[in-house]
Amino acid sequence: MTDNSVPETEDSRLIAAEYVLGVLDAPERRAVEQRIARDQVFAREVAFWEKRLGGLAEGIPAVAPPTSAWARIEAALAQAERRAEERAGLWQSLRFWRGLSLVTSALAAACLAALIYTGALSPPRAALVAQLGAEGGKTGFVAAVNSGGGTLTIVPAALLSAQEQKAMELWLISPGDKPHSLGLIDPNRPVTIKVPRDLLARVNKEAVLAVSLEPLGGSPTGQPTGPVIANGKLAQL
Amino acid sequence: MDADVKRKQLAAALNRVARGDRPALRLVYDMTSAKLFGVCLRILNDRSEAEDVLQEVYLTVWNKAADFDEARASPITWLVAIARNRAIDRARSRAPSRRSEPIEAAADVADPGASAFESLASAQEQERLKSCLDEIEERQSLAIRVVFMGGFTYEELAERSGVPLGTMKSWIRRGLAKLKECLER
Repeated sequence: MTDNSVPETEDSRLIAAEYVLGVLDAPERRAVEQRIARDQVFAREVAFWEKRLGGLAEGIPAVAPPTSAWARIEAALAQAERRAEERAGLWQSLRFWRGLSLVTSALAAACLAALIYTGALSPPRAALVAQLGAEGGKTGFVAAVNSGGGTLTIVPAALLSAQEQKAMELWLISPGDKPHSLGLIDPNRPVTIKVPRDLLARVNKEAVLAVSLEPLGGSPTGQPTGPVIANGKLAQL
Repeated sequence: MDADVKRKQLAAALNRVARGDRPALRLVYDMTSAKLFGVCLRILNDRSEAEDVLQEVYLTVWNKAADFDEARASPITWLVAIARNRAIDRARSRAPSRRSEPIEAAADVADPGASAFESLASAQEQERLKSCLDEIEERQSLAIRVVFMGGFTYEELAERSGVPLGTMKSWIRRGLAKLKECLER
């Protein structure tokens, strides 16, 4: 695809460098960004300069932002999440799940039914769900693979107390395979996880989901390092 | 902590953010916010605007973390590029620059003996960039450094340096062309 406004002269090849350097005006910057999106060779040229000139940022002193900055970011994320919830309806409604998850194992079945029901609103294929049993035979979490298999929602079914200085990490384990991390989860609210592309094929009824206790930030080794507090097999419905 | 370990930790945290992991975003923030705030502040020279941009930066990280490719960029280079782009966009959208310090002041840099983690590029790449910048004309290399750190437009730079706009453009472009030739050698 050619762009008439950017003829292929020496100067125009340098426009990638000028963009990274930051000398372009607003309309020129927008034109460059559009070109990055559609022209892979040009995008690589921009990446070359970002990598090479990036070292110049070394000389810029770090300045601690005000402590209120993180709270503002969290508030903005929460607002974006609320908007997404409104779009997604009940399935993504935190308030709905919070209410529903304030239950013990006796109501886990209701949780499961709700997951199936909401998941079944647009089922291109049979849903996969798992009840993750915790110590003492209680259900710790209920998980459902969302339609299409690309995401997985995990809901705390029992009142679990967050442990100081510990994170809960979710693992996908296929028979004969090492555990693969699906990310950190929250004992107080439902979390929807995007299943990494390379793990999609492993999300099937042979697989087991497990939750382990890990240092804050998650397992440092990429494998579970702490005790497994809940696990359960995926099942097709 | 060793720079390589930090880099791996940050890359792993970004991969978790890509899966919608909120605590991982906090980890990325704790590891990088001071550097990125410094970058925004340098370009915007206004704390409140820099704070606005910092917020946009981490929302972008939250939404775009899946685009981060460890094989193509170091995590801190990727993050600095987002922060610079956001800050430069903000600077372009406001009334003409409120910066008044002489252009040379913008080249003043902190002690380069920054902590290991601050190392954006590998030591080897850093050395290469430095030697290539030393190879080109001094006024060209100074202009390139100043523009990168301060996010000036050609117009601002020409005005502040008392050099005609066309001359400034051709200095920088020639400098970039020579730099590229040297970096690709």
